[in-house]
Amino acid sequence: MSSSMDVITQFLFHLVVYSIPLLYGTCGEIVVERSGSLDLGVEGTMAIGAIFGYLAGCSANSLFVGVLVAYIAGTLVGEVFALFTVTFQANQNVTGLTITTFGVALYFFMGNAMGEKWPVLTKADRMVKALDTIDIPLLSDIPVVGKAFFSHNILVYIGVLMAILLWFYFEKTRAGMRVRAVGENPAAADSLGINVAAKKYQHIMLGSGIMGIGGLYMGLNLGGTFEGSNCWINGYGWIAIALVIFANWSTARAILGTFVFGFFRTLAVYYGTLAKTFPKVLGWLDNIPSQFFSALPFIVTLVILIMDSVRKNKHSNEPAAIGVNYYREDR
Amino acid sequence: MSQQEPLEVKGLRKQINRGKNSLAKQFHLVRKSRMKLWQNALYILIGVVVALAIGAAILTSLDISAIDYYSDMFTIGLVGNAYPERAIENFLVSYVPLLITSLALALSFKMRFWNIGGEGQFLIGALTSAVIAIKFPGLNPYLMLLLMSVVAMLCSGVTGLAIARLKTKYNTNETLATLMINYIALYVVTFFGETKADWNFFLRTDSERPKFTSFTKMPFVEIGDFHLQISVLVTLLIATGIWFYLRYTKQGYEISVIGDSRRTATYAGMNVKRITLRTMFTSAALIGLAGAFTASSSGCISTNITNNVGWTGIIVAWLSKLSIPGIVLSSFLITILQFGCRSASSLYPSIDSHFADLLQGLILFAVLAADFFANYKVVRIMSAGEKQEEQHEDKKEVES
Repeated sequence: MSSSMDVITQFLFHLVVYSIPLLYGTCGEIVVERSGSLDLGVEGTMAIGAIFGYLAGCSANSLFVGVLVAYIAGTLVGEVFALFTVTFQANQNVTGLTITTFGVALYFFMGNAMGEKWPVLTKADRMVKALDTIDIPLLSDIPVVGKAFFSHNILVYIGVLMAILLWFYFEKTRAGMRVRAVGENPAAADSLGINVAAKKYQHIMLGSGIMGIGGLYMGLNLGGTFEGSNCWINGYGWIAIALVIFANWSTARAILGTFVFGFFRTLAVYYGTLAKTFPKVLGWLDNIPSQFFSALPFIVTLVILIMDSVRKNKHSNEPAAIGVNYYREDR
Repeated sequence: MSQQEPLEVKGLRKQINRGKNSLAKQFHLVRKSRMKLWQNALYILIGVVVALAIGAAILTSLDISAIDYYSDMFTIGLVGNAYPERAIENFLVSYVPLLITSLALALSFKMRFWNIGGEGQFLIGALTSAVIAIKFPGLNPYLMLLLMSVVAMLCSGVTGLAIARLKTKYNTNETLATLMINYIALYVVTFFGETKADWNFFLRTDSERPKFTSFTKMPFVEIGDFHLQISVLVTLLIATGIWFYLRYTKQGYEISVIGDSRRTATYAGMNVKRITLRTMFTSAALIGLAGAFTASSSGCISTNITNNVGWTGIIVAWLSKLSIPGIVLSSFLITILQFGCRSASSLYPSIDSHFADLLQGLILFAVLAADFFANYKVVRIMSAGEKQEEQHEDKKEVES
């Protein structure tokens, strides 16, 4: 009996582990979209943040350096996106897709160019140590749930804290409201004296930086091994974009949303174990091909997307001016 | 200015002064009048040169001579090749799917319908046509190609139609919907490829490189040593057809009106929903056809059969500003880039074929930036006095 409990704990533990990179990606995209830009380059931004953060972190043997470099790499990608869409008035969809193509290509190109010199994660002992789990006192002693939810590495706690702080920023502070004004109606915000371009630049860069950290975390989750065929991000940047709709542009709701998706992702890894541990209840899981579980997050996203539009969500917080470039002379 | 100026006013004056002096406040953007075609082409050329220069910098940083690499790349392995005909044939095999896909994507982009699902539609086409190839062995090659194409176009087209229907009826986000289909289709193909069971019908599991068990390959026309596949001719025909369709038919014109403004189209009495459904079906069906052609000419199917044309097609379509002759040309250039990178990767082991994607991204960035400088000019904001002066000068010019 205790072993089946262990399986549940493990399942829930990994649910959190697999969710958090998505949380970073989703929160980053929400920050960008709140300022009125639709960034389809999440996948590429995460890939660039991941590879630069990982290489820097390993060579400096420090998690802090890794996260910092991933963030900076992300903000630089964000700056490119902002330069093209805010200053150059280029189409946001096309710019985002180009960033994705470019970012993923850069990831593979750099990884292949490194070849034998690719750093092994286990050799960066201090970085690995910094990723040790931290028990939250008292809470982590709760049976089953304690070890699953309150005993994680530092990036998990930072991620959740960031989501809550961002929620507070956008809902409760004056500065956050101004950003939302830019996303809803840039011309009106401009007439109130808000520097629309500056707000957009700042938030596109901030959001992209957060995505970069998410990419690094994704790579660390996968043990930092470079595969020539599979990118670390592997489509999760796109799920992050879809999750924004699911989270209704609220970073607090994004925590819930990412856990739902983390559940499906964990299922893809754990369904065999679950079927073995609970043969009576969950034995049928074994009859389903593994590819179905891999496709499940995407199927669920599609279903939610369709359901959301069919229900005609009246309480949608979608920024009204999203995807439309603001050209001052057109006022 | 009195010395007893209150602090608040002082602060305000400071702010105003700061605003006046900052660079952003002194300049603003003005749209230029319409560009001439050659000007546009010139800006694109500059963009490509800039991107290649950045690529050269990357190569140099890896201790590789950029001149050598580029010359190897742009000759796509033709120089010193004992069988240049085969190289050209292989080149055309990669050119055909990219061209069809880019044309198809341009159709939907012209309508401002963001079909990002090229990869998925391509896979659906390839998979369903493979089913035909395996279920009806021994058919006449022409009949086989026709049957494969029709089935692929129908299956892929219906997928596109479903999403277009969701868009017109419920306003579902088509970007994300088409995108999710990409991954779902990918895992369906993975399922059929990886699982060894009865329904694993289209791959021979015992062969190392699975091929259709008995399959009549795509027919070709022999020109000396050179084998020209039928698909190349069909593709050029399709390109001409789409060009004519968009330029000279009412239906084609309706697409561009919807792209400009849905409202205008509605007020003009167009059935926007119908046109959207029709166009998206055509777009997805054509991409499915590209999948059928690729499956037919390679004789096997795998998860990377798409060669990323769904993504590359978007870049091609946008590079060409959705102009059909432009797409024919730029998909040709991009294929040279990709094909060249692939054939050069045997000479330069540290540079893999993703370098082509990298260059594509850079080229599109450069062209987007060039677009800006082509369509906007930066003008200094003039103070009231300066404005008067200018008006005065204008008047003088008119008088003289």
